[in-house]
Amino acid sequence: MNAAPLPVERLSIILGEAKEVKVRQRSERRTRVDVGADALPALLELLKGRAGFVHLSAISCVDWPNEGEFELVYHLWSYELHLLVSVHTRIAREPGVYVSVYDIYHPAGFFERDIHEMYGVFFEGAPDMEKFILTEWDGPPPMRKEFDSEAWVNDHFDWQDYRPDWLIELEQQGGGVVVRPDEQRFSRRSEDEG
Amino acid sequence: MSKPDQFPIKIEQPGRAVNKGGNVFSRVFDELTAFCRSRSLFILHYCTGCGAIELPPAMTSRFDMERLGISPMVSPRQADILLITGYVSVKTLKRVMLTYEQMGSPKYVIGICSCTVNGGMYWQSYATAKKLNDYMPVDLYIAGCMPRPEAVITGLRRLMDKIAAGNANGWQDYYRRYDYYLGNQQRLFGETWQTPTNVVGEARHYGLLGPETQGKHTELLKRHQEPLEALDMRLGLSNKLEVES
Repeated sequence: MNAAPLPVERLSIILGEAKEVKVRQRSERRTRVDVGADALPALLELLKGRAGFVHLSAISCVDWPNEGEFELVYHLWSYELHLLVSVHTRIAREPGVYVSVYDIYHPAGFFERDIHEMYGVFFEGAPDMEKFILTEWDGPPPMRKEFDSEAWVNDHFDWQDYRPDWLIELEQQGGGVVVRPDEQRFSRRSEDEG
Repeated sequence: MSKPDQFPIKIEQPGRAVNKGGNVFSRVFDELTAFCRSRSLFILHYCTGCGAIELPPAMTSRFDMERLGISPMVSPRQADILLITGYVSVKTLKRVMLTYEQMGSPKYVIGICSCTVNGGMYWQSYATAKKLNDYMPVDLYIAGCMPRPEAVITGLRRLMDKIAAGNANGWQDYYRRYDYYLGNQQRLFGETWQTPTNVVGEARHYGLLGPETQGKHTELLKRHQEPLEALDMRLGLSNKLEVES
């Protein structure tokens, strides 16, 4: 009489059927799977159909500008095996187009829409690639590494001048607060006046 | 850009009234109005950031704002104080501007939390507006991340004193220097930014039309402004339902 296989063993049996995957056991309940971009939808289908990974909790995107790649991470949870599998894949940063997994997991529609507006990755076959949260934003995708948030902020906003009396008094006595030159920020109004 | 105090602002100062023409009662009503105003304040219940979490204890039995005559109000038309309780994202700021312009004068703005002063911990964020007083006149800032209810109460008491002394005149500044505020709004929201409120007309109504009320930014607004159309209002059910019944 055979004992029922452990959840992790069941998962490794299923993953053994998939081709060209790199499986790493991160901890007792976490498994990381690295897979090529072509094979990812098939792997998700396999995990959903054979191991009950019906819950796609999120899709994360990681920008690797030096390698010229985006890394997409699909976080899957199985209510049967009580395991978390994160499926990693990498796609080229240019043109940044990938296939949607909306037909496998419907919540993916929202995650893909979010990634599209934050990173500019286009998902083919997604039901809606319109703006999601940044509806009134017309700048570049702000989560890309090349987007300089601080420069954008300095370009669009002014800073409050803070010169209270006690500071002016201190400075007259030769004291004061030392602010590093790269941390000094002034309001544009005082620049115009001065 | 000029400073707000460059133009002579005619502020009625009831406390230091000059007895003109020997009429002892000439300023009595101004004094009374300012006193009553400072003791019946309604805060618009519009919360933007984390600082809103300090308001329930300030409002309810622990610190009991109502003993000062301050209580929350649901509609901007009937409110006196606009509390900005924390960071305002650019999208929220548009709604805040719409709300502020809908409030009836005199109106007062209090910026709570460090984020309204200078962006706070979101100083580097592309989505959060820094320096609230670029977009609307702020009467009082309560700094802190977040300020305790005691600090909120102290700030509100200071605002009451300012109102009673006739010094809380930020709303007049919005009419006097509308062009400056509108310019900052246009810089952030884009050239086509417009609100349904006719601020210049209101400035004329209050007699606050100054040399800086209109300028190149209001010209730009006029060029882009689309006239408001009345909403289609009908009583009863839609046609389709009427046919079915």
